Amino acid sequence: MSRVNTVLGPVPTEELGLVAVHEHIGYGMPGSELDTKWWKAPEQRYEETVPKLRAFHEYGGGTFVDATGICNGRDVDHYKSLSAKTGVHIVACTGFVGGDTALPHFANAGVDYLTRQFVHEITVGIGGTGSLAGVIKVGVSRGGRMTDLDKRIYRAAARAALATGAPVLTHLAIDAENAITIFDEEGLPLDRVLFGHVDDGVNADRTRDVWIAEKGGRIGFDTFGYETELPDPPFWARPRKERLDHFLRFVDGGRRLKQVLASADANCSPLGWPGVKGHTVNYIFEDLIPDLRAAGLDEAAIKTVFVDNPADFLTLQK
Amino acid sequence: MSGMSNTVNTVLGPVPAEELGVVSVHEALLSVVPGAEYAFDVTIDRAEIFETLAAKLRDFRAHGGGTIVDSTGMFHGRDVRLYEALSRATGVHIVASTGQGPEELLGGYFLTPQTNPPTPWPADKFADLFTKEVTEGMVVPRVERRGAAGLVATTATRTGMTATDESLFRGAARTALATGVAVSLRYGSDAVHDLDVVLDEKLPAGRVVVGGLDRADAVAAGAPLETARRGAYAALDHVGTEGGEHITDAERAALVAELVRAGFGDRILLSAGATGVAKGHTGNDLPYSHVLTTFVPLLTARGLGDGDVRRILEENPRALLSVR
Repeated sequence: MSRVNTVLGPVPTEELGLVAVHEHIGYGMPGSELDTKWWKAPEQRYEETVPKLRAFHEYGGGTFVDATGICNGRDVDHYKSLSAKTGVHIVACTGFVGGDTALPHFANAGVDYLTRQFVHEITVGIGGTGSLAGVIKVGVSRGGRMTDLDKRIYRAAARAALATGAPVLTHLAIDAENAITIFDEEGLPLDRVLFGHVDDGVNADRTRDVWIAEKGGRIGFDTFGYETELPDPPFWARPRKERLDHFLRFVDGGRRLKQVLASADANCSPLGWPGVKGHTVNYIFEDLIPDLRAAGLDEAAIKTVFVDNPADFLTLQK
Repeated sequence: MSGMSNTVNTVLGPVPAEELGVVSVHEALLSVVPGAEYAFDVTIDRAEIFETLAAKLRDFRAHGGGTIVDSTGMFHGRDVRLYEALSRATGVHIVASTGQGPEELLGGYFLTPQTNPPTPWPADKFADLFTKEVTEGMVVPRVERRGAAGLVATTATRTGMTATDESLFRGAARTALATGVAVSLRYGSDAVHDLDVVLDEKLPAGRVVVGGLDRADAVAAGAPLETARRGAYAALDHVGTEGGEHITDAERAALVAELVRAGFGDRILLSAGATGVAKGHTGNDLPYSHVLTTFVPLLTARGLGDGDVRRILEENPRALLSVR
């Protein structure tokens, strides 16, 4: 049976459609909830979020993977209502964006405890929501080197992935040697891992995307749209053409098309930061897919990147 | 800061200081290790928590207690609406605190913000965050502000104050200067050093309580006496905890008597450091009434008179908690 955990329950993989594989309804660093400067009324949250999801649906988007970690304002009840009202499938994650976003209860935990947390959220539920996590989020802390805590989280994610069949999605693919060592030691096939943000403006030069792909990993060009051309770009922005050229160079005329996924990493309604004006998940339809067509990708190639590859990746291997 | 202000900020609003009665200054009501609220094996049943805390507060009141100070700050399980209901139901005054620390208990928002480079928060930003919890009210995260915090509490890292701990301490001191609430600090490895950091902000020593001075290392270093000499309040705040890193209750009683003899009876505070309900850690399961039921007789046996005891349990905390 092919199934993917969404916040409204498992769905058949065949129903996913076009997938935005690395997005956020709303992301905030842990502790940002204490700072009223970021607070928004629930009315405003829905106002900022619903039109983007509706447009995503109308453009032909099927599934929105929310990559917001456990302590980053992940709000599964909110996602459930959004999904039910807009018709967009939403996949929530377990795990952490990086060790530096894990609060002390988890930062001080060992691999076994973290594994149990992830497995519980995938097989029993996230808190009291009744929803099951569909992916496991891991990541590299600020600084570009995996910390001891990052490594414990990666190892726990690998064990939870093996136990549940859920895939692993990474924040940053820098320091991949350490990540792959852990996945190899745990026996997790690398096609169950999406090494994300290889196109990130800060780390792209030092990210070994081709090497990771040759090892069998899936590669995420998933910060599309964070461009230096924006009126107020974030520090991780990159010139639009540079990113697109990087993507095309990686795909190598289609040779590595089966291993690549793409997304925009946008916030519908940011929680603990101002967000980036003008950047939404719909960059995928409004800019990225037209750019890919203009660069010569045919419809079959676009379907591979946005439908087939994410379907393979997200399907629970159990 | 007003001339009217012999009042104390409780969760139900300002209360005249003389109504506080016996005060326990360093206690915890609901104590949650940050993140434990998301853990698969932690259940937060607020009705059950209320029942447990209400029983403990009623026991405190039955033994002569008047006011409990939850000195755990803004990010360790503080639940202002629960505390309001508890205070109404039990008649015990509850003072809740703002502040955070040590560094390892902060969220990433304060330590690795989304800037390049990810520079930890400086003192002024902490001061602003904490000050608003007094002037505008304590936060229920992402929902609303409630009543004013009655204290700003912070803690240094056990192995020694870090740069971010120092920002927290300076931010707490600036909060006290801006709002008139007192600072509660738990030192890291050197009580007098850590006290001097907040005094360096020109905060009068009488607006500071130093906790943890019944740790054996502090006693060995003479820190309780030195704290009192500087004019700050010296809190022996693990009454009932013996062995390990703490001195015994008998030793605490001797220390109190020594401080009183040295003329510092007006600088001493006592508390059990009890945890009402602990989530994500074991807590310290003592009754809030322990000081009253078990420790006061030891003081009396040491020759302290009723006046000395009353001063320590009522007058000193009243002066500390009065908004200046």
